[in-house]
Formats: sequence, structure tokens, C-alpha cells
Amino acid sequence: MTPAPAEEELRAAGAAGDAATSKPGTSINGPRNSRPRTVRLGPVGWVRWFWRQLTSMRTALILLFLLAIASVPGSVLPQEGIDPAAVNQYYQSHPSLAPIFNRLSLFNVFSAPWFAAIYLLLFASLAGCVLPRTIRLVGSARQKPPRAPSNLARLPASASYTTDLAPAAALDSAAGLLGGRRFRLHRGDGWVSAEKGYLREVGNLLFHIALLALLFSVGIGGIFGYKANRLLIVGQGFANTPTDLDVFRPGRLVSPSDLQPFSINLGSFRAKYVTSGPQLDQPITYDAALSYRPQVGGAARHYVLSVNHPLVVDNVSVYLIGHGYAPVFKVTDGTGKVRWDGPVPFIPVQQTTLTSEGVIKVPDAQPYQLGFAGVFVPSAVMGANGQLESAFPGPLNPRVSLVAFKGNLGMNSGQPQSVYSLNLKGLKQLPVAPRPLTAGQSVKLPDGAGSITYLGYKQWVSLAVTYDPGQLPALISGIAALAGLILSFLVRRRRVFVRAMPGTDGGTEVSVGGLARSDAAGGFDTEFAELTRLLRAEHDGRSMRASQVGDGTVDGPADFDDRERGLPTVPAGTPVAAAAVDAEAVTAQAVTGEAAVASNPETLTGREEE
Amino acid sequence: MSRLPVTASIAIGAAVTALVGLATAGCDGGQIAANVPQSSGQSFVGHSYQSTFYQVGQRPAVPAVSGTTVTGKPLSLDSYRGKTVVLNFWGSWCDPCRSEAPALGTLARQLQPEGVRFVGIDIRDERAAALAFMQNFNVSYPSLNDPNDQIALEFHSTVPPAAIPTTLIVDSSGRIAARIFGASTYSQLKDLVAKVAGLKS
Repeated sequence: MTPAPAEEELRAAGAAGDAATSKPGTSINGPRNSRPRTVRLGPVGWVRWFWRQLTSMRTALILLFLLAIASVPGSVLPQEGIDPAAVNQYYQSHPSLAPIFNRLSLFNVFSAPWFAAIYLLLFASLAGCVLPRTIRLVGSARQKPPRAPSNLARLPASASYTTDLAPAAALDSAAGLLGGRRFRLHRGDGWVSAEKGYLREVGNLLFHIALLALLFSVGIGGIFGYKANRLLIVGQGFANTPTDLDVFRPGRLVSPSDLQPFSINLGSFRAKYVTSGPQLDQPITYDAALSYRPQVGGAARHYVLSVNHPLVVDNVSVYLIGHGYAPVFKVTDGTGKVRWDGPVPFIPVQQTTLTSEGVIKVPDAQPYQLGFAGVFVPSAVMGANGQLESAFPGPLNPRVSLVAFKGNLGMNSGQPQSVYSLNLKGLKQLPVAPRPLTAGQSVKLPDGAGSITYLGYKQWVSLAVTYDPGQLPALISGIAALAGLILSFLVRRRRVFVRAMPGTDGGTEVSVGGLARSDAAGGFDTEFAELTRLLRAEHDGRSMRASQVGDGTVDGPADFDDRERGLPTVPAGTPVAAAAVDAEAVTAQAVTGEAAVASNPETLTGREEE
Repeated sequence: MSRLPVTASIAIGAAVTALVGLATAGCDGGQIAANVPQSSGQSFVGHSYQSTFYQVGQRPAVPAVSGTTVTGKPLSLDSYRGKTVVLNFWGSWCDPCRSEAPALGTLARQLQPEGVRFVGIDIRDERAAALAFMQNFNVSYPSLNDPNDQIALEFHSTVPPAAIPTTLIVDSSGRIAARIFGASTYSQLKDLVAKVAGLKS
């Protein structure tokens, strides 16, 4: 993106103008470029070359495009940070592909090294582009417009006319008119240069800086934000502490005490499904009634959580991202003691009908440790091959089928294992005929290992807790980037030159030239024509008033008769008289120039106001 | 960052921070994340990652924790004032807690005459399972029942337990003097307690 296109074009335009002034007809693209030159790049040269490449517009665009492509797997594949259960499911359904994807960080796209590489390069590319350009913009804002080329007729837009006004007076009024229209002025001997439209470059820079800020905001979110997941059974609660979150992904600089100390209890959960037609089994609504405390020991508040309506506590968003069933079991061991009495969350393996699987581990059962693997079906029907199937996600006919194990669960070695799977290595399956249990039914285990009773079910919801301090800055940056882009498209940078010199017939030859760069929105020709018309009108009007000045009636109200009488008495040609007229005209213009601008409704339309 | 003055160097510093953060974003986040197994569904740590000893003067006060024990009795940490207390956050479902339980039980009995008391805080547990755990590992000391993690939350501004198990050693003046993340070993815990309580190890 270094050399800025707009800058470059303007500079080229200046060069063309200069060429036109000095030697018309001589090409500035002389033959010196046609000879091939071979230059060896030294180390510094290579670094410079690399930096040029990196900070070029093309590279930035490619990187931006790559960034967009790189985030595609993030929305196509399940992400660990968002839905770890879905990742597990992907592992089960694609056992050979999943490990490869995992190696490529495709389940964790936004913190993948290759993603960071693209991001960092884009960051460097943008920074390398914006900094020098900002410096140049500041420089060009301080600079006066270039001197007017001598032959304005060579410019893309030009006009000329003669006026009776003296050259200096004509230039004065031209400067007044252009200045009133907020052109930046530069005056010289016999010419006025005016330039406006600096906002174009400002908009362009705003866009780039906003893009940088956007990347920066995302980075801030990654450093100071965190993401967590929590599975919560109806009737249970949790606190926003690392120990109470199932999956916790803090940013680099997040410590446990940075977590906002709220706690949430799940009062009830309700899911509605379509019960007939082609949309059968499709969910209609999910509502989770929560009570929460924003602070330790604070007052409890209530909130109904539904999909896409997160609870926001302390700038932390809590989203409802999933739900399922937690069958309730009571396990009695061989000694007759109850070793488990509560719900166990089962994970849906079939999303449409919520057929779910889970395990129950009873590591403190005596004399044997017990483990169960189960399937929960909310609306049980017998499948074609005699297998238990769910026909509907709602709990119309909930059943549980269990396989029992005894032996060593492998939990006492200290090696962490998933609470959702059994390590079968030290376990022996018990010969229990599988049968779908309804609430209240028990299975007695052989070998005096105890018994298990299915007591019913509870529902659970899966919550995503996200804190992203970069979110608002990212939004603001996005809006600013858009605003900058619009500005840089709509505003054109243009120059208007006016030259006035004594004509052959005693009048003054006024020539006006205009030049617009990157006139993407079009319309400079119209603007130029309008400016010329105004200039001419101004000059014509003023030349009449100027003749009054020569007549000695400075402040008198200009009525037609006076002017008629005054005109022939002005000795327009003599230098002394012209100087006198000039001096008077300047003061007259200072008074009436403003009035003329203000009273002209067209200058007040705001069309050119930026 | 808001408390820093707004200068150009800050912007550059922030940019560098962001770059460093991003450059390392490929790893799994910080210390805590490293302690959390990805797919376990519950957070606990495998083996002891680190122990931290706080010098006198840098020790945060232990919150006034009270509640009901797993066996149904009321318990308040205040009643232990003047004694060195070992606070152990655990759960019967947590494998490393099970592996450290024998060491904790033994030390609790051995250090009883020295005036050291052990208190457990049972996190995210089912009561029958917790009772079975205590019976199985012959845990003689009481444990507060904390199904909704409210007790852990009270440690929020002190030394929050970042993983399960976490063991805190509270000195006789009621200040947190040491912390162990992950399963503690017999000798590690014994040495730390001795250091805090001023015992000969």
C-alpha cells in the first residue's frame, strides 16, 4: 500500500503540470527507463524488498483474503472453545480424519499457529503501510497547493474569459470565492492555486487505522478475555470460578481472580418441538429460567435464557448452547450402602431425537468398583432390529438401557480421565440381560455386586460463558472502517487554478483550470463548470462595482444610473489608476466578497461542504 | 491498561503485547488452561504442578467460610482460629483427588497432636458419593459440602482454587500461607505444613 495510490496520482499530475509549463510536447517518460538494468540486491536491499512486498496493497489484500478463508473451518467444523461435545462427536464419527484435523488445529482455528501467522503478517503489513502514510498526510496537509501551471488550457477541465477587472482584483475575488468554498489557497504572481478534498486521504487512513484497531481489538479479546463451558442440571447451580467450569480457556493474561464472581442457578428448562409435519422433531423454543447473583452474597435476580438471548452479567455473556437429559440413578453396592443417588448427565449422540449416552462411575462401591454405560431415549420405540430408538426429542416415553461392569475403574491412579467415558481396561462386564428401564425399575447385579435403580430424569443445559473485552472496540473499529471507506470513495481531491493577465484588448484574460484525482464518484466536471460560472459572475459584477470605486463613490448604494455614468470615466489601462482601483477593490471585496458568498444560495447548499 | 498515561509509547507497547499474545496464541492459554484436560468435561489436574509459599506479610486473609459438612453438621473456619489449617478442595469424581487422599488422611492423623487441622471442601459432588469416598479413604476430618461452588467463589479475591484438587495452608493467624495445585504428595505437603506451622520436619 505504500506509495498511496491517491498520492502517487496527484504527484504524477503535478509532474504533468510542470512538464506542461516547461516544455510542452516533451515526454517525461524519457528513454532512460527502457534500458534494462541489472542490480544486485545486498542484504539491506533484500530487507527493503521484503518490507515493500509485505506492506504492499496486494499483500495486504491477499492476507485479508487468507484470513477470511482461514476462518471458514472455524464455522464449518466444531470448535473446542465453543462446543467441545461436538468435537468429541466428530472424533467418534470421523475416527481417522479427526486426529489429522486436530494436528492442523482445525478444531481450534482461532488460536492455531497458522492463523496467528496470517494475522500477524496482516498486522505488520497494515502497520507498515499506515505509519508512513500518516506522516505523509500530515506533511501534505501542511503544504501549500502547488503553483499554477502556466498553460491552464492543458488541464482536463479548463475555461477562459475576459473581464474588465484588473488582474490583481480578479485574482483577489477568485481567491475569496474559492476560500469561501473552503479550498486551501496558494497565491503567486498572476495566479491562484486552490486545493481541497484532503478528507479523501483522511478517510483512506481512517479505514486502514480502523482495520488495525479491529485486529488489535481481537487480540485484546484473546489476551484479556476467556471462554468457558458449563453443563448445568436443573436444580443445580455454579459459580464463575475455574473449578466450577467444565472447559475453561483463559486468555494469556487472565488469572482466576480476574473472573467475574457471579453465580447462576438453573430453576427450570423447557424445550418445545414441532410434533407433526415435515418439520417433526425440530425445536421451536428453548427457555431456561435462571436465578443469578452478580456478586458474592448479592441479591438474586431472575432471567429467562433462550437461544441468542444471552444473559449479560458484569460484561460477561452467558449463552444457552445446548441441552440434554440427565437420568437419575441410585446405586447400592454389595454391602447394601447407597453409593450414588443423583442425576448423571448423558450426552446426545443423535441431535434430532436426543438419543443420549453416558456413564455412571461408582468408584467407592464395595466390594467391587462399579461402572455403567447407558443409553437414554426420551421417546422410546423398538427399532426394526430390536434396538431401542428414540422417535422424538421430547420426553414422551423415557427409557434407559444399561450395561454393567465391575472391577477397577482406573480412577485411583490420579490419571485424569473423562467423566463421560469408562476405561474398560480393568473392568469386567456383568452378565445382565439388557432391558429398557422405566422410572422406578431396578437391575440387580450378579456376584453380590449390588443394584442400580433408574429413578427418572432431569434436563440439563449447556452454557457458554464468554468474556471478550475486545468486542465493543471491534464493533467501533468496524464502523469506523466503513466510514473511512465511504469517505475515501465519495470525496475527491481536486485542484483549481486561476490565472489572470492583462489581455490584448485592455481587458483581463482570466483562465481557469481544474484537475481532479480518483474522481470515482464523478461530478468534478459539474463542480468545475459551476465554479467557473460563479467566478465569472463574480468578476463581471465586481468589475462594475470597481468602476464605481474609480468614480469615487465608495459606499454609495450601487444603482444602475451610477454605473452607467461611471463606466466610461474609469481609466482602466493606466497602471497608477489600476493600482488605486486595486487597493480600493481589496477593501471593497473584503466587505462585499463575503456578502456575495453568503447571499449566493448555491454556495450554501452544502453540496461541497465536507 | 486504562491506568497508563496515553502516549505513543503505550500504543506501541500495547501493540507489542498484542503481538506477543498472538504469537503464543497457538499454545493453549495460560497456566490454568494447562491444568484443564480438554475433553474431560470437568476440570481437575493430574499431578502436582506447583506449590507456592507466601512470605509473612504477603499472605491474604482466608475468607470466613462456613456451612454444612457432608455428614450434615455445621462447620465454621473461624472455630479453627489459632491453629494451622490445611484446606483441601476435592471431589469424589476427581481422579487426582483420589490419588492424594491417602497421603492427606495419613498426614491429618499424624499432625493432629501438633495442632494442625484438616478441612475439606467438597466441590460439585453428590452427597452419597462423597460419603462413600470419605469412608473408603478413611478420611477422619470434616468436609464442607459445596455443591454450587459458593465457597470456592468466596476465595475469589484471595487465592482462588484454579483447579481441583487445590490445597491451601492457612497459618495460625488466619492467613493463606501456601497453595498446592494438583495432587499433593505426602512429603511435599508435610514439608509445607511444617514450614507454615514452624514444626521440625
